Amino acid sequence: MSGKIRAFPWKGLLGVWTTLVIVLALALPMVPQPRFWYEFPIVPGLEDKARIIFFHVPTAWLSVLAFVSSMVYGIRYLRTKDLRWDLRSASAAGLGLLFCVLATVTGAIWAKFSWGTFWNWDPRQTSIFVLLLIYGAYFALRSAVEVEEKRASLAAVYAVIAGVVMPFFMFVIPRVLESLHPEPLVNLEGSVGGLPAPKLQMNGTMLAVFLASLAAFTGVYYWMWTLRVRAAALELRRATEGENRD
Amino acid sequence: MTEFFAQNPLYIVLAIVLVIWFAIYGYLFRLERRIHDLEQSANR
Repeated sequence: MSGKIRAFPWKGLLGVWTTLVIVLALALPMVPQPRFWYEFPIVPGLEDKARIIFFHVPTAWLSVLAFVSSMVYGIRYLRTKDLRWDLRSASAAGLGLLFCVLATVTGAIWAKFSWGTFWNWDPRQTSIFVLLLIYGAYFALRSAVEVEEKRASLAAVYAVIAGVVMPFFMFVIPRVLESLHPEPLVNLEGSVGGLPAPKLQMNGTMLAVFLASLAAFTGVYYWMWTLRVRAAALELRRATEGENRD
Repeated sequence: MTEFFAQNPLYIVLAIVLVIWFAIYGYLFRLERRIHDLEQSANR
């Protein structure tokens, strides 16, 4: 397999980029009819609450990216039986679970201000809750098996199955069932069962900040992932050296 | 000052989010240095 994971090289750039994204996302004004490049359009029914898109959607996107990475590294482990692929798979799954929790929490806070309650078992909330259970079980499985090779094999198979199931909970079920969740990128009609749902139409500036936010979050995710993998590799190396001494 | 923030609560949100981001960034930066040191000592 390829060598060890190298340190994330663009830490300074990521720091400045993310700070800029946060400032632009929260400080640029929202107006009914944007006339200047620095203005966002008001989203009827959401107003300033629409700014959650700059933080909530990237966390959900990263959980998908992490779960898919976990599946791919799981497949690679099953093909090579190299424990370093297992480390990468487990690190990705851990971060995926973290970002899934963040998406759930930010979504619940938004729901409190938009729907009046943190949780109402909306199809979107229910499906992400099931996803949390699925990946929570992944770590329960890992902690239940002590033999490294056996744990890695079982976890890899589980990561593949979970990775196949994940798109149904993340993309299919919330769109098949009627939901109050805004669909900025897919539900172009902006309606749910004939009733108007908040429709998010971004102008060029808003789309640019949104894409910049996706890039910033992806950079943070990759940095965190490299740190996790390097720390886990050190731990594995120490354990292997300890076994060899014994 | 208080009146300004009362009329523009988004700036309070902005300040809180920036503090959280700087804390995360600082934590990751320190973690990176510690892992680097451990890697160096493991390679020796």
